[in-house]
Amino acid sequence: MQQGESGLVNAPTGCGKTFSVFLGTIIRFINDHPENYQQLKNNGLLLLWITPLRALAADISRAMKSVFDELGLPWQTGIRNGDTSTADRTKQKKQMPEVLIITPESFHLLLAQKDYPSLFSNLQTIAVDEWHELLGSKRGVQVELALSRIVSLNSKVKSQKSESENSKNQNPNSKLSKLEVLSKPDQVNTEYFVHSVPNSVSSVVKKNILKTTSIWGISATIGNLDEAKEVLLSPLAQQGVIVKANMSKRTELLSIIPDEIEKFPWAGHLGIKLAHQVIPIIMQSRTTLIFINTRGMSETWYQTLLDICPDLAGQIALHHGSIDRELREWIEENLHAGKLKAVVCTASLDLGVDFRPVETVIQVGSPKGVARFMQRAGRSGHQPDAVSKIYFLPTHSLELTEAAALKNAMELDIIESRPPRILCYDVLIQYLNTLAVSDGFIPAEVLPEIRSTFCYRDMPDEEWERLMYFITEGGDALQQYDDYKKFDITGGHYKILSRKLAMRHRMHIGTIVSDAMLKVRFVSGGYIGVIEEYFISRLEPGDVFTLAGRNLEFVLIKEMTVLVRPSKAKKSIVPSWNGGRMPLSANLGKQLRETLNRALTPDSPELKALQPLFSLQAELSHVPSANELLIEQIETKDGFHLFVYPFEGRLVHEAMAAILAYRISRIRPISFSFAMNDYGFELLSDQPIPVDDTNVYELFTPDNLMADIQRSVNSTEMARRKFRDVAVIGGLIFQGMPGEKKKARHLQSSASLLFNVFSEYDPENILMRQAYQEVMDQQMEEVRLRDMLERIQESKIVLEFPGQLTPFCFPIKVDSMREDLSSEKLEDRIKKMTEGFTTKGTKEIHKGH
Amino acid sequence: MKNPLPHIIRGQTFWVSPQRVLYWEEENTMLIADLHLGKSGHFRKAGIPVPQGSQKADLQRLIAQLYFYKADRLIIAGDFTHSAANKELDLFLRWRRDFSGLQIDLVKGNHDILADDWYTEANIRVHTHTMRAGPFLILHDLKDQRKLSDEDKKLYQFAGHLHPGVLLKGLARQSMKLPCFYFTLQYGILPAFSRFTGQYIVKPGKDELVFAIAGDELTPLH
Repeated sequence: MQQGESGLVNAPTGCGKTFSVFLGTIIRFINDHPENYQQLKNNGLLLLWITPLRALAADISRAMKSVFDELGLPWQTGIRNGDTSTADRTKQKKQMPEVLIITPESFHLLLAQKDYPSLFSNLQTIAVDEWHELLGSKRGVQVELALSRIVSLNSKVKSQKSESENSKNQNPNSKLSKLEVLSKPDQVNTEYFVHSVPNSVSSVVKKNILKTTSIWGISATIGNLDEAKEVLLSPLAQQGVIVKANMSKRTELLSIIPDEIEKFPWAGHLGIKLAHQVIPIIMQSRTTLIFINTRGMSETWYQTLLDICPDLAGQIALHHGSIDRELREWIEENLHAGKLKAVVCTASLDLGVDFRPVETVIQVGSPKGVARFMQRAGRSGHQPDAVSKIYFLPTHSLELTEAAALKNAMELDIIESRPPRILCYDVLIQYLNTLAVSDGFIPAEVLPEIRSTFCYRDMPDEEWERLMYFITEGGDALQQYDDYKKFDITGGHYKILSRKLAMRHRMHIGTIVSDAMLKVRFVSGGYIGVIEEYFISRLEPGDVFTLAGRNLEFVLIKEMTVLVRPSKAKKSIVPSWNGGRMPLSANLGKQLRETLNRALTPDSPELKALQPLFSLQAELSHVPSANELLIEQIETKDGFHLFVYPFEGRLVHEAMAAILAYRISRIRPISFSFAMNDYGFELLSDQPIPVDDTNVYELFTPDNLMADIQRSVNSTEMARRKFRDVAVIGGLIFQGMPGEKKKARHLQSSASLLFNVFSEYDPENILMRQAYQEVMDQQMEEVRLRDMLERIQESKIVLEFPGQLTPFCFPIKVDSMREDLSSEKLEDRIKKMTEGFTTKGTKEIHKGH
Repeated sequence: MKNPLPHIIRGQTFWVSPQRVLYWEEENTMLIADLHLGKSGHFRKAGIPVPQGSQKADLQRLIAQLYFYKADRLIIAGDFTHSAANKELDLFLRWRRDFSGLQIDLVKGNHDILADDWYTEANIRVHTHTMRAGPFLILHDLKDQRKLSDEDKKLYQFAGHLHPGVLLKGLARQSMKLPCFYFTLQYGILPAFSRFTGQYIVKPGKDELVFAIAGDELTPLH
């Protein structure tokens, strides 16, 4: 860091990787000002610390402050996120602290402020904490874009200060050719190099220290660390270094095995039946973290633990992202102090500073991936060389096989990659609006910056032009009957002048992370937390739901706030937060298939416990080994079911179900609804499904895959679902803001309705195409599907016709999301459905019939 | 069925059309609700670039229907326009001049917030809450019953506002949502004329009738 280098720090949790980057910045400052570093106050912003979670900021800030005190450094730290008060914001605007801890959204909000470049002019280091969490998400793309801006700004400040002969032409009118775009970063690179050499030699005039902003990522171990570094440093066009801590941590996995596996449910997500087995574990250890996959289930768990062990009252807490900040901070402080016996939490405690008193971690339900599981295990046993102990609590029987698979994966050191996102036009549209509400932008100037990021480096000129056309003209319009005008373009400078639009956009920037979140307050006053609008919109006044461990009666929604009353009702609805459900990773899927090889010759406690279940599966149907694909066809009163078990994770199964349904529907007109979970998928029809040993290999052929992908994606809901997210980020969905009442409602429209309108009248729209592209990239990924189909072709397809539902198919049937695909004529479908439709009435009045 | 279907209410013949209009044969009058004219324009004026195509198509469909029935009168059961005035409404005004013989009655809905001048210029008769036509009462929102006189309440009511839709369920957990006309013994609710609208699912009970609209097709369900 002393030489202004950039890079990525990788180490397991609990060994101070956070401090490495932080101290580097301080040492660099002290080296630059060896005599008077203890006197220099108000140095401006030197270190920008980006963190994905608001909850982490307070902890990091506290840790940093204690270092300042020890060194006698008169520095300030500031926190900037959704929780920061207006007063603090104003203070920061006047005098930036030396260290600012910020979320990606708030970083973009800074870019939406007038005269923002001056805030960053002294900036030495940008640290991106928990980069592995951001990478692969649209918030990661936000970081990439913001970095590209700052890097470019500061290299300009620099070239103004250096001799003018060196600074190359910055002609804003230059044609946008690829060559130039590529050549520019190189030039930046050499500049950095040239300047950083004299900088490290201490004979430089101290006043004129050059601002070589360096970028450091901090990441847990993931499969593609090199790529993670490349993405992060892409705007700098530097190779950078990876600093790896040389220590390995031992993790011990213990499964909580139900006393009577026969009575344990075959399906479910909650696992609450095993709660009594958790109590002794909590009692035996100093502090226990209990990780639950979704916020809603964490509410239920918290309640249940208190019910069965009232002694825990006051020593147990509930922590998730929707809980009030003050309460969260209180919990975190008490965790540090060792005053809590157990905390029920979600991914909200996955990251960040370690809580030393934590000795034990319990994971409820599948962690869905090896990396996540390891990360959570790492939350316990912080003394170097201590063993991280993690308990796995299954929520249904089959999940125990996942524990066995996880053990394998950990032994073999298998860990997932986080593929970075490519060409997210929704985020880019939001970013250009952000620049336009502050100081405006010149397209020819920002385009090379945008292309310096990994996400947009391959963006074709044509796409850029479409995007600019879309945001400036609003796409094709009815000429004189159109009022669309968002940008003022003066001298090639694009700016949003309307204060109303600017304010609305600033409100909008935070929306990448969440669905519309509404605040929840008591009618009598008092803030409880936030909740997704999606959930509340389905409630009627008088309904009782649970939030932050309390039962609340829904009264009404007023100005983006949900008003509630305390309720004594025994029954309540637990919110289902969309964020919680992760698909199984490919790695874990593979381990799972291999684990099933040993199902009938068990070698681990989990598989031994599952013997009764596997025997029943074998008796009714078949237990597939790794080189087999099991297909079950079962007839029930619901209709004809076809179950397929590839063990590839929910997303891939959805794609595969769509393709298979499409292929079968070409044999004859037929309608399906289909469902999937992480183990397999189901096609359900009202007529027998024509799949047998004569055509089954053909139905799973890799031939014509691309064409079939295209056709099936058009006939399902996948793109529509992606569009929801894209439309919100791209600014098509307006979520309303405080103070704007009636008129604001006139601007509201559901994503699904917009999807219909665009499909019909502007199907080539850039956001529409992105929704389809996201399906292709994330679910219908051709390579992965092809690999899977080729694997199936080489394996043995086992067709079974069980007389009843099997342990394998049960979880898919009872609990999963559903979609439709049909090759029947619309009128035929309606006819069939209307035959069952009846209002059971006399029809005298309707004489027409 | 692509053709309109007849439906007799209080001795009068109404033709139910998959084009989301109701044609009253005896009075040569066309009934619609919830056109939401200028909706895309309203979004666009606020910097949200939704396509205008659906508005243009809605207007064209309205004109085509007026030509088809050669109606003398158009009654709109509220939400004729979407919000404040914008240029998209000029498209309607231009067209209105070519149809000057047509009488237009509007019963105001919650979205009809334009200044009085605009309705004067558009040559539209405005009825603030309700309007009587023969044995019928037209209003926007059925929930506004307490504003009605006892005499009004005896009339058969036509309303909009709800954007009614019907959920069809088939075997094997298949389902489909379709916009619909919804008739009970006391009232009839029209589907939203605009296609840029959502749906509220109604569950028809005893003695009630629903006409589901799937594209150009109309299906009576009872």
